[in-house]
Amino acid sequence: MDMKKNKDTMDLLSEISGMAGEEPELLSARTDEAYVRLSEAGFERAALALAEKKFSLIGLFCAEAFEKESGFTLFYAFKKAGRAHVLVLVREAGRAAGREGKAAHGAVSSVAEIFPSASWFEREVRDGFGLEFSGAFDTRRLFLHECYPEGFHPLQKTFKNGPISLRKPEAGKNPEEYRFRETKGEGVYQVAVGPVHAGIIEPGHFRFNVIGEPIFSLEIRLFYKHRGIEKLAEGKSPLECVPLAEAVSGDESAANAVGFCTAVERASGIAVPERAECLRAVLLELERVYSLLGDLAGMAVDVGFSLVASPFFILREEVFRQNEKLTGSRFLRGIMVPGGLKKDISGPALEELPPFLAKFSRTFESAFERAMSSSSLIDRFATTGVVKKELVAPLNLTGPLAKASGCPADTRLDRPYGAYRRLSPEPSVKKGGDVLSRFEVKADEIRASVKLIKRLLEEMPSGPVFAENGPAAGEEARSDVRPGYSGPSGYSIALVESPRGQNLHWVYLKNGRIDRYKVRTASFCNWQAIEHAVLGNIVPDFPVINKSLNMSYAGTDL
Amino acid sequence: MVNPLSLFLRPKVTEDFAFRDEELEALGAEIKKTIPKVFGKSLAIRELDSGSDNSTEIEISNLGTPYYDVERFGVSFVASPRHADVLLVTGAVTLNMAEAVKKTYDAMPSPKFVVAVGDDACDGGIYKGSYAVLGGVDKILPVDMKIPGNPPSPKEILKGLLLLMKQASK
Repeated sequence: MDMKKNKDTMDLLSEISGMAGEEPELLSARTDEAYVRLSEAGFERAALALAEKKFSLIGLFCAEAFEKESGFTLFYAFKKAGRAHVLVLVREAGRAAGREGKAAHGAVSSVAEIFPSASWFEREVRDGFGLEFSGAFDTRRLFLHECYPEGFHPLQKTFKNGPISLRKPEAGKNPEEYRFRETKGEGVYQVAVGPVHAGIIEPGHFRFNVIGEPIFSLEIRLFYKHRGIEKLAEGKSPLECVPLAEAVSGDESAANAVGFCTAVERASGIAVPERAECLRAVLLELERVYSLLGDLAGMAVDVGFSLVASPFFILREEVFRQNEKLTGSRFLRGIMVPGGLKKDISGPALEELPPFLAKFSRTFESAFERAMSSSSLIDRFATTGVVKKELVAPLNLTGPLAKASGCPADTRLDRPYGAYRRLSPEPSVKKGGDVLSRFEVKADEIRASVKLIKRLLEEMPSGPVFAENGPAAGEEARSDVRPGYSGPSGYSIALVESPRGQNLHWVYLKNGRIDRYKVRTASFCNWQAIEHAVLGNIVPDFPVINKSLNMSYAGTDL
Repeated sequence: MVNPLSLFLRPKVTEDFAFRDEELEALGAEIKKTIPKVFGKSLAIRELDSGSDNSTEIEISNLGTPYYDVERFGVSFVASPRHADVLLVTGAVTLNMAEAVKKTYDAMPSPKFVVAVGDDACDGGIYKGSYAVLGGVDKILPVDMKIPGNPPSPKEILKGLLLLMKQASK
């Protein structure tokens, strides 16, 4: 990676050296991304200082055989809301524990007590790579459920992807049974829900502890849909990997495809033409619109108000049909490629958008007005499922969820990418933190997206939609998937604002092939908020609280 | 404020989106005609996500929204497998979901049908070769019909259901 030590990077380095009390080793840097190594003692001092300065731990992931290292390397990505820079502290973890699970050798200290968002991250790394974190308060398995055998760590390079032999349950004992938090007391009882739910929704398990109707604690267990996306990406060329990025979460297909492509483009120095960036932004905003319409409709359904849900559902279907006209896919799939777009979008489909959006806004506003003038809807939404602002930075909550709790951060504004460098959306923020605030913020986001699409269309530049030095240009498009394909090496983080918030994509390319692909969707972090949001609420309000947060199970389970 | 009475005085669909789709109407009419040949008077469906990317769920739930509104054709989605004639399974079956998939199927009364919806449910799709999935739904349940697509559109799902009933009524 080229070392661009601009002023921001230099400032950041001196900030880190102040925090760690030592001179940091700068491994590599871009204008908005720096990789820094510290001593173990320096790392622990820096972690404390970063938490004090309200930095969020936005990602913690591992790679094996990174650059010249032979063992496991951990990457701690920190970011502060409102700042573009991502600071990555790099930590060597040595070899993993043996099959016996002895942690003594190679264990690194846990940061979960400093950064609560780290708890799931560390459990994820432990399952994937077999690394132990000393001092971690939760060492249960995360995405590997009971059926997976002991000592199995799929992301280690020695494991070649393929079917595995499952663990046979031994008669009468189940040593790895998943232990939920236990509560005792008079009148306390548990309500277990899932993984299969009553509606047409994704699977997950919720364990409520209630006294009468009010909930006094909730524990969630997810990862039923763990499909092994990160392992599948290994060894593929970037072009082959795009469908995997699109499959991370169906209703974020465009956002994750752009996130993945941006990471590849940054890592291999590809400049995307302006027209492709603008068209990408149009599609990203259409995705936001249809996704959030589904949320608004779902929230209305969950309080039994189909008169309001129906127009939102109708509008969503209309947007799906526009998507299909533009790209051939209702979910905007198969159009993004590293370097730009697979084909140009032009002609009638694009010209149809402005009149469609004008009509859209009229129906949308009348449906929204009808919702907000219903006292029974307001009664169910207001003061329900409050997410406190204090949780936002420690848990790295992002998207409409954070905006409804008084934190306006948005990747498109903080760390603009693609066309958002030239055109930015109007920020939206509400302070209540309740279901009503999220309903209003999501409506504002839809309005802002519609405006942004109109501006993007007005200022649409002409020109090519594929980078001259892109990996799949012309003849190379076919050689890209050949076994002998070779290309650049490098690594980079891309952050994109999906409909649910900040999605992180980290790609490490070795000779043009994916050596490691880490994706962390907004949902992965935002799920933590639900255990707090339901406290003191009644069980019948859980569906609407869950829908107002609307996290993706697929995007979390990977 | 909207006067609450006005909600009753106005037609309920207040906007001018024209969404009559002749192909859908014809398809719906045929479904309505075919259901009694197999299921008595209506078709009760239970949806089960065995590891999809959630786009298939969106298209299946779209069947209940005003555009499609399949209840008017005699098709309904039920909350429990115990009330279902047909199980729509989406997604390659993950190891973590395998047991729940089996239990859901076992809870259904016989005779019962299983439909795999989407490329991943049909044969594992892009997850083929992953340690984390068994493969298509047919690896764990007897599948009567496969509806491919990434994801299949609501109309394609309806066409698949019609085909299933035609096959079953033979």
